[in-house]
Amino acid sequence: MGKILFKDFKVFNGTEFIDAREVLVDGERVSAIGNSLDSTDAEIIEGYGKILSPGFVDLHAHFRDPGGEWNEDISSGARAGAAGGFTTLVAMPNTKPAISEPSLVEYVLSHGRAAGASRILPSGCVSKNREGKEMAELLKMAEAGAVFFTDDGAPIATSSLFRLALIYTGKDHPRIMEHPEEMSLFKGGQVHEGKVSALSGLKGIPAASEEIDVARGIALARETCGRVHFTHLSSAGALGLIKQAKKEGLDVTCDTTFHHLTLNENAVINSGYNSRYKVNPPLRSKEDQAALWEGMLDGTIDAIVSDHAPWHMDEKDEPFQDAPFGIASLECAAAVIIDFKNKNYPEVPVEMILRKMTSSPASLLTEKWQALGKIEEGSPADITIIDEERTRIVDCSEWNSKARCCPWEGIALTGWPVMTFVEGRKIWQDNEDL
Amino acid sequence: MNAMPSEIGQIVWRHRNVIDVDCFTREELYFLLDQARHMENVMDRPIKKVPVLRGKMAVNLFFENSTRTRVSFELAEKMLSADVVNWSVSGSSHAKGETMRDTAWTLEAMGADIVVMRHGAVGSAQYLASKLKRAIVLNAGDGTHAHPTQALLDLYTAWKHLGNLEGKKIALVGDVLHSRVARSDIIAFKTIGCDVVLSGPPTMMPREIDSLGCRYEKDPRKAVQDADMVYLLRIQKERQQDGLFPSVDEYHRWWGADADLMKYARPGALAMHPGPINRGVEISSEVADGHQSVILEQVRSGVAIRMALLYLCGGGAR
Amino acid sequence: MTVLREKAKLMSSDDLNRVIKRIAHEMVEQNKGTENMILVGIHRRGVYLARRLQKIIEEVEGTKVPCGELDITLYRDDLTMLFEQPMVHSTRMPQDISGKNIYLVDDVLYTGRTVRAALEALVDLGRPSSVKLAVIIDRGHRELPIHADMCGKNVPTSKNEVIEVKVTELDGKDEVVICERDAQ
Ligand SMILES: [Zn+2]
Repeated sequence: MGKILFKDFKVFNGTEFIDAREVLVDGERVSAIGNSLDSTDAEIIEGYGKILSPGFVDLHAHFRDPGGEWNEDISSGARAGAAGGFTTLVAMPNTKPAISEPSLVEYVLSHGRAAGASRILPSGCVSKNREGKEMAELLKMAEAGAVFFTDDGAPIATSSLFRLALIYTGKDHPRIMEHPEEMSLFKGGQVHEGKVSALSGLKGIPAASEEIDVARGIALARETCGRVHFTHLSSAGALGLIKQAKKEGLDVTCDTTFHHLTLNENAVINSGYNSRYKVNPPLRSKEDQAALWEGMLDGTIDAIVSDHAPWHMDEKDEPFQDAPFGIASLECAAAVIIDFKNKNYPEVPVEMILRKMTSSPASLLTEKWQALGKIEEGSPADITIIDEERTRIVDCSEWNSKARCCPWEGIALTGWPVMTFVEGRKIWQDNEDL
Repeated sequence: MNAMPSEIGQIVWRHRNVIDVDCFTREELYFLLDQARHMENVMDRPIKKVPVLRGKMAVNLFFENSTRTRVSFELAEKMLSADVVNWSVSGSSHAKGETMRDTAWTLEAMGADIVVMRHGAVGSAQYLASKLKRAIVLNAGDGTHAHPTQALLDLYTAWKHLGNLEGKKIALVGDVLHSRVARSDIIAFKTIGCDVVLSGPPTMMPREIDSLGCRYEKDPRKAVQDADMVYLLRIQKERQQDGLFPSVDEYHRWWGADADLMKYARPGALAMHPGPINRGVEISSEVADGHQSVILEQVRSGVAIRMALLYLCGGGAR
Repeated sequence: MTVLREKAKLMSSDDLNRVIKRIAHEMVEQNKGTENMILVGIHRRGVYLARRLQKIIEEVEGTKVPCGELDITLYRDDLTMLFEQPMVHSTRMPQDISGKNIYLVDDVLYTGRTVRAALEALVDLGRPSSVKLAVIIDRGHRELPIHADMCGKNVPTSKNEVIEVKVTELDGKDEVVICERDAQ
């Protein structure tokens, strides 16, 4: 592979915008950062002031592969990620069969590599077959390449299993990612317990459900000195607990999603109960949404994830109550958040958002991947180019993902990724852009 | 007896589908009540039929069993001379095999002009309407969400008895949480200017009652105090299995309507119920069969109001 | 958009009242008295005209002829061609119309479709022994085999013209004017 010189870019190094306007990639790695770099033999890409960012890292995506490939497979998911500016995606293990043994971890890795798009990193289940009973072969899965352990789709079934897994993995193996939910409060739940449940009569999922499970996880993290990552946080209460725990010095981290940051229960109501807004955890109140932004600003939230949950139209295009949970967002997530921030939080610098899509989530991956999410000399050349001026209408029919509906369908958004590179190789480009 | 603003202005009726009552303004509600009055007149004629929907095909698509609502719609359709097809789909929607999308397109291919649907899922009527290009949708109940024609017939019944409803008080007692009737009634009666108060077991109330825009009184006597209408909601006994109330007997003692509870209402207050009634649960026989009860009139009103809606929404060119 | 431009006055208030009086007399004459007679006004102006006829007959004959009102909206044959459904008005008959002589009253007779609808509506209400039609203006252009038994004035018109019969009860004054539709 040759050299590429990125010229005239606003360079975001994963933490901040730096003075340098040029980045030189040699083969798979960044070889130099500066100004007036030597361009001999290099292909030159002119930026005209666009942003050059480390490729986005998504800690939470569902690819339905194996077992539900008509909804999405690893290949379509990896290409969807590429088109959304993501260079690294962590695949959730709640597939059929669930990823709970080393050979399946390898399956995900090898199919991800074969896709030739975004880097797919597997996560493994905490419990065998994701049944919530016995601990899975966590260390063998770690060896095979799993970067998280999670029973996502559901919380770890019992506190004793949770506790054992924390003690067993300790600080030298992948983190435990917890889907925070108290299942007895879910039963038949459809929407946030609040205005939307009152108006529709749909069974509510109270915010307390999330809060209770986060409290459990924090207590266990404290007791075991373990590391817990809480995913797709949606409520102010749970966020408050994590803020406290962080202050206390516990090794707990968390993420929220693009949709929880940009939508709330009113979207469900105003749509007349359109299934495209049906997701778990549910879109919560306006106040919860505001609390999430506060958590972004005060550092409680470490990462933004997609929780990309694709469904074939035949499954998702149903009346609200009959449709499955899940929002597919990879291909528009970056634009969704940039556009929303610019319209609603113009004073927040875009770096703050980008940090939580690059260096910050990358730091939660395993040792091997600690160089991701940064633009430094010698780091892997995972690069996403963002055009802050670009306006495009979301059109799911053009997606690489097999999902064909999302909350932003038909909406014009401004601020899109336009080119994506993994290890120096261009994996996607917005054809209308250049 | 009808305190209608004496000259109802000619209203441009812009509604095609009726998903819930929240789409109507107060003027439109009064207009609809007035039109229902003329429709009820048709029911009293020797020949109970007018040719206004001649040549139109109405399909009553029922995914849940509800003979009452279906028969009421069917009568209304027949009195307006529509061709009526009853299509019942039994079993849960997941077991039905055909997606609602396909059902919708099938209906349209068959030439349906009007689809009346009852379905167990919230959002199903809106969904169906979004899939139909030509036919209109009248929601006959979508899960716990809405039952607009019930609310309109309740309004019509109350209006016939009480005249101008502005400032009148209605107490809705029972399982508000799972009741599409309550949700649509709250909107309808509030829109027309009534004061709406809820009562029932706290476990059967939405957590955020405020968002419904009405007051809650745990004690039904406080809710019914000075009410002009006492509306008893049907209690589904299986809610007891969900653990929402400990026993039917306890429910009846606390929230069941008997003559004693009715004493707290204004003299001559109406006792209303969407039917079918559970005697001895949410309503005692002395109230159900007493002089204040308008339960059977509600049934008659249902046909009239459905005729009015069918005429206004379902006639005309597409 | 079209606007109506008034072209000429066909009848003044006095003219109109004279015509109504004449029709009242013709009715009683044709009916040979007021027995079995029911006046039925077609909504909306026909209803007010029927009431005036009732009053005049009462003054002359000393008996109050029963007077009903008929709304033909639900019997119109053009509903499926309209995008907005017209408002339904009340239909009220003072008594059973079976075996009675019905005198239908309307303001203008034009294509005959309104009268056709009125006849269908009447038949659904009972079996009158006869039905006669009285109108203030017959402007021609019939599309159905219908004629007026009593008529105030025959006015040949073009299809571009509109006849407006105004009554005090609705319009604040009595008169008949002919207007022309101006396309704009
Ligand atoms: Zn989850």
